[in-house]
Amino acid sequence: MYGYVIRRLLLAVPVLIGVSILVFAIIRFIPGDPARAIAGVHASTEYIEQVRKELLLDEGLHVQYYVYITNLLQGDLGRSTFTGRPVTVELFNRFPNTIVLSASAMLIATIVGLSAGIISATRRYSLFDNASMLGALVGVAAPVFWLGVMFQILFSVNLGWLPSGGMGTWKHLILPALTLGLATAALIARITRSSMLEVLRQDYITTARSKGLVERVVIYKHAFKNALIPVVTVMGLQFGTLLGGAVLVETVFSWPGIGRLMVDSILARDYPVVQGAVLLLAVFFVLINLVVDVIYAFLDPRISYGSREVD
Amino acid sequence: MSKTECVISKLPTPQRDTELRQVWRHLRRNRLAMAGLAVLALFLLCAIFAPLLAPYDPIETNYDVALQGPSTENVLGADWLGRDVFSRILFGSRISLTIGLISVTIGMVIGVPIGAISAYYGGKLDLFVQRLIDILIAFPGILLAIMVVAVLGVGVENVMIAVGIASVPIYTRLVRGSVMAVKEQGYVAAAKSLGIRDARIILRHIMPNCLGPIIVQSTFQIATAILWAAGLGFLGLGAQPPDPEWGAMLSKGREYIRTAHHLTTYPGLAILFMVLGFNLLGDGLRDALDPRSRKY
Amino acid sequence: MKKYLALLVVSALLFSVLIVGCGPGEEAVAEGQDLVIAMGAEPENLDPLKMMSAPAATVAEHVVENLIYLAEDGTLKPALAESWEPAEDGLSWFLKLRQGVSFHDGEPFNAEAVKYNLDRFMAKGDFEGGDAAVFAFLLGRVTEVEVVDEYTVQIHLDDIFAPIASHLSHSFIGMHSPASLEALAAGDYVEAPIGTGPFKYVSWDRGEQFYMEKNADYWGGAPTLDSVTFKFVPEAGSRVIMLETGEVHAIMAVPPTEIDRLEAEAGIDVVFQNSVRVIYIGYNLEDDLFKDVRVRQALNYAINKEAIIATIFQGVGEPSSAPIVPAIFGYTEAGPYEYDLEKAKDLLAQAGHADGFDMELFHPTGRYPQDATVIEAVQAMLADIGVNASLTTYDWGTYLDTVIVPPDQAEHDAYMLGWGTVTLDADYGLYALFHSSQWPPAGNNVSYYANDEVDALLDEARVTPDRTVREGLYRDAIDIVWNDAPWIFLHNEGQVNAVRSNVKGLIHHPLENLSAWDAYIQ
Repeated sequence: MYGYVIRRLLLAVPVLIGVSILVFAIIRFIPGDPARAIAGVHASTEYIEQVRKELLLDEGLHVQYYVYITNLLQGDLGRSTFTGRPVTVELFNRFPNTIVLSASAMLIATIVGLSAGIISATRRYSLFDNASMLGALVGVAAPVFWLGVMFQILFSVNLGWLPSGGMGTWKHLILPALTLGLATAALIARITRSSMLEVLRQDYITTARSKGLVERVVIYKHAFKNALIPVVTVMGLQFGTLLGGAVLVETVFSWPGIGRLMVDSILARDYPVVQGAVLLLAVFFVLINLVVDVIYAFLDPRISYGSREVD
Repeated sequence: MSKTECVISKLPTPQRDTELRQVWRHLRRNRLAMAGLAVLALFLLCAIFAPLLAPYDPIETNYDVALQGPSTENVLGADWLGRDVFSRILFGSRISLTIGLISVTIGMVIGVPIGAISAYYGGKLDLFVQRLIDILIAFPGILLAIMVVAVLGVGVENVMIAVGIASVPIYTRLVRGSVMAVKEQGYVAAAKSLGIRDARIILRHIMPNCLGPIIVQSTFQIATAILWAAGLGFLGLGAQPPDPEWGAMLSKGREYIRTAHHLTTYPGLAILFMVLGFNLLGDGLRDALDPRSRKY
Repeated sequence: MKKYLALLVVSALLFSVLIVGCGPGEEAVAEGQDLVIAMGAEPENLDPLKMMSAPAATVAEHVVENLIYLAEDGTLKPALAESWEPAEDGLSWFLKLRQGVSFHDGEPFNAEAVKYNLDRFMAKGDFEGGDAAVFAFLLGRVTEVEVVDEYTVQIHLDDIFAPIASHLSHSFIGMHSPASLEALAAGDYVEAPIGTGPFKYVSWDRGEQFYMEKNADYWGGAPTLDSVTFKFVPEAGSRVIMLETGEVHAIMAVPPTEIDRLEAEAGIDVVFQNSVRVIYIGYNLEDDLFKDVRVRQALNYAINKEAIIATIFQGVGEPSSAPIVPAIFGYTEAGPYEYDLEKAKDLLAQAGHADGFDMELFHPTGRYPQDATVIEAVQAMLADIGVNASLTTYDWGTYLDTVIVPPDQAEHDAYMLGWGTVTLDADYGLYALFHSSQWPPAGNNVSYYANDEVDALLDEARVTPDRTVREGLYRDAIDIVWNDAPWIFLHNEGQVNAVRSNVKGLIHHPLENLSAWDAYIQ
């Protein structure tokens, strides 16, 4: 078991290196002078020269990457061209907000999705089943930023129950988290339902039933446990979608997270911050997937820990 | 051409046209899928005949009706410059469909060959490609597209490229899996032993078997592409004024949610229905193409 | 089964740690005397070297004070300087400073501090060779700041300069504690301003809010409010909702479509105030497209300013009739360019552009009221004469850095900007924007306008003490500029703020500042 976790950790290393190379390449791909891109649009010629020297931009790419990765490992991601502050400071001011938002969204999605899925599966073709599956279809198809605006109109403008944006009390969190979580809830509901139905058809369930076990026990103890495996996988994958969606939701609700920082920085041509934000999100996502794989290994005893192909 | 080859090419895909007909039969019985297809057909007609159907020029301003809600003149109301929202949504379907189709084509054209070649040859090449794809996948969904736009600059063309690139890993993974499954089968080995060139084996004997999953995935992927592109438009990174792109329309319309919510409601519904159409069709296609599900 | 339970418990724990550990901080609640104001744009910077916009001025002036204050009625009032007198030859000014004032960090305010701040601003004295402030042109005539005694400074000029006192009142020339500036690392700019003002800086969460608490030892008497928070909410609609739900007490830049509704709402007051700002689209005159004056005028005739005011601003504001607004000393009515499509087309045809042309038009989003909407309308109007403008927008700070560049770095054919003549004297509005010495990077003549006659008139007006003569010089300059049309003249802005009725004493300044030091909550 621990061997598996360690192997899985080690396998993440080349991916992380690759991610760092790709992010490193962003600024070099931008048309024009990378020194000017890093120094900021209004930097003086002297400062641009200084940046060029510091980053060894006249040297080969491998030398530049070496400098970049050395700085990176020391937590130095450069300075924002907009605020002039270290990129790491900018990122860590915002990152917790994004985590709070996506974690709450995931929590909502899990609760709503799992319960809807289970109820739907056990009452197949009932009104609830049909209604919730229709809702799930719409939930997956609705643009998350549109949902956000509709919630604002309904809950903030018309009903006046919840604030429409900004960050502060727990009330500020509800709408963005709900908006962000809904698509994921829809997906979880659909997967849970089909996965439960699949499991309920299996022989051992029939056996359990024939042994005279109470239906509830059958469903929760036997069926649910096994149906959970694909659900966990989807949840792991969905976390990426969620982080992506966070960019949009943060914009709708003026939530000062890292996604909004990234978009603002693109519009500000603040490439050091764009680089840092992309890097941080990617690394975070890789780690989340790692955790999911490990949880998955816990859940499914059939997995041989030697194999990486968990899907 | 030789006789043996004909025999072999028949082996993997027995009665191709009946298969297609069978898929259609299953699809036709699926009411949700047919609903999806109908929605898409409607959007396609709107996109093609937009100039004929639209009551107004989508960029023509009329300050007298600015921000007015739905009326007999402007069935879905008018925007902040008095442009007809209905006409803009009609023309917007062109933009969204184009982005969806082109970006998915880009993703497919790059992703499918890479996946197929990687899986077919296996070994170190496969391992290398796999790691590359792992790296791309480390950037969650729309973020990869945003990153590409950050490098290329804003605009519709760049959005197509960005979303296309962001869907490459999905195709590569999908095709790789399918090819892996097929390549060990007898007829491929038989074809190899007959000395048929690799490229030919991949194209003629392996790919047709992956077609189903690719079609299903592409249907879903178009939906995703449309959502991402609208998202980029919403963030101001996509289509620029005065293009009637749905995401951008919605984004600007947010300023008026108190007084003119038709500016956010309808473009959003347009996106919703188009995406829903592709998703329903995709669900139907998957069920129709998956022999396992046909039993139920 | 136990395994799952354990897992569940662990993840639940993780979750709560995450949420509690990283949760949003305590809210600055709107109870008691804690005022919250929502504004659209965030200050780009609060360092005098880098400040460039009214939002920066609005926030900064609560914490950092000037030597002289320009009151909302247009008069100059003593602030950190109690009096200012010119020397007999007019080539220097003596400033008597307020005594017994200390900065928020306890450092004393005195003549040395003034010299330190002004030298830093101009990159003179000890700061020779460093970067001067973006707005250093304000003190362009100053040669030296001399410390006469602890509470007297003498400001030496290279020539008579009539508007120097007005210029010293500019919000970007605030007095920071020299010790705090000294402590900045190389390459850093002021993030935590330490001044002498009625409020003390507490925190600045970028992208979110700026929070300050009252300075109980303020020399002018402690304010009633315990704290002031400026929230940065770019979406105008969100600002309105926040005001209505009571999350904030006041909002700046009410969207025009909301004015009627807010006015009708009980408990909310809508405040209209003139602005000293004109909004315009400047041409890049180094661009071959705009060398011909007929082209420049044609575009002016093609824009329906009345429609923009009526539709987009619901009647707030007025079409520009000069490069400065009527409230400014030296204003002359020269326009407006009446909307006339035929004339516009004729002029274009005469200039050899009968089929129009393509141009790159850069504009800010969210900085000026309705800026992006106005530009969209302009785009549509230009299309009527065959001029196809493609739009580019950036974040405010970057936008400024992108368009205010020397001609060889300009990426645009035309750009949208506004200019508030915040000294209420035409010199500031005309010299900075139309004098040929003010091309970037030196100044704000972003259109690269150069006209010898105008230069001569503006130069003369600077050294002419007689107000009537000065007025005549500015009238001539304005007439020339108007006909030369280096801009598409758009409109004079009107300000619309909204305040909850229980908040009293806010100052809605024509300079587009919202000032809270005299405010209190009932």
